[in-house]
Amino acid sequence: MKGLTLGLAMLCVPLGAAASPDTYEFDRYHTYVHFAVDHLGMSTIWGRFDAVSGKFTLDTQAKRGGVELRVETASINTGDNERGSRARSRDEHLRNADFFNVLEFPQMTYKSSTVKFSGDAPATVQGQLMLLGVTRPLSLTIDRWNCGLHPFNKKEMCGGNASGSIKRSDFGMKYALPAVGDEVKLFVEFEGYKQ
Amino acid sequence: MRKIVVGALILAMPLAAAAEAETFAFDPPHTFPHFALDYAGYATIYGRFDKTAGRFTIDRAAKTAALELAVETVSVTTGDNERGSRARTRDEHLRTADFFNVAEFPRMTYKSTNVKFNGEDPAEIEGQLTLLGVTRPLTLKVDRWVCKVHPFYKKFGCGGNASGVLKRSEFGMKIFLPVLGDEVRITIMFLGMKQ
Repeated sequence: MKGLTLGLAMLCVPLGAAASPDTYEFDRYHTYVHFAVDHLGMSTIWGRFDAVSGKFTLDTQAKRGGVELRVETASINTGDNERGSRARSRDEHLRNADFFNVLEFPQMTYKSSTVKFSGDAPATVQGQLMLLGVTRPLSLTIDRWNCGLHPFNKKEMCGGNASGSIKRSDFGMKYALPAVGDEVKLFVEFEGYKQ
Repeated sequence: MRKIVVGALILAMPLAAAAEAETFAFDPPHTFPHFALDYAGYATIYGRFDKTAGRFTIDRAAKTAALELAVETVSVTTGDNERGSRARTRDEHLRTADFFNVAEFPRMTYKSTNVKFNGEDPAEIEGQLTLLGVTRPLTLKVDRWVCKVHPFYKKFGCGGNASGVLKRSEFGMKIFLPVLGDEVRITIMFLGMKQ
């Protein structure tokens, strides 16, 4: 099951070239980054980034791994994208320089530095999030993890969910504080196919 | 601050016309039902409905309330709406007769039958969900509830979050069971502006 893919191993992660890390590519149709933020102290508002790509490596013997995730900021989607009688929808507002400034920063990226394992499964990921050109540490907890054959296409995959939290002001996104919360909870649903 | 809104009362709810009932209309840009279910034992997949309409009445002195929410099933969105090389996207598939059958059932509705209070605040809503033409009980727990003058709209509103669980098979939505989970967790974020 573990092939030695030297080329990929050298490309992907600055790990010691371990015996056989496997590389997985995130499935764009089943990998999304969700976020939740306090809205006016009244409700928790949810949103999602629809276009996410990247890959992760896994070496369950050496208990090492790495992940790189790229999110297209313009794909932000909170369900409010029809103007009605307003000058702009919320999703349009989120794309401008008040929030994600997608013209100047079309992507935000997450790159791991260390992955801690619990048995054979990754448990926490330490890494850096780059958002609006600012890079800050972000740890993710792996809440759910499973590897096996996809029941329909029979390809090898690993999937699960991960969570973490950031303060958007740390990245310079200060618009509407504190009416719209500073703490942003992140929830990632993901699936990746072994390459 | 409390007015008797007789017209809306008579129209909206089969409540006893209580002394000081207030009527609120759900604000569409800040009212979204979300759902989560298990995907093939690998990950929890999230989705949302973008278009809702409805209202609730509340009489905090008498501790009674009622609500009605209509959801446009065609507005289902899970982030997968670009076909790529596939015959259809997941969101397109969800709209077909395999899932929500939006052509035949353009709306699903939730109507409360009883609301339990915790002090002056609604705590639990008993009601009926009609989905795919089938009506079944659904109880929602109010997880968050705040009433105040909205800082931007400058009108009085009540907002919060509510959650519940249902089994989609009970409404006749049985495709892909058990690979795609039966239990669906519902989370609603809402804002109602006083009429």
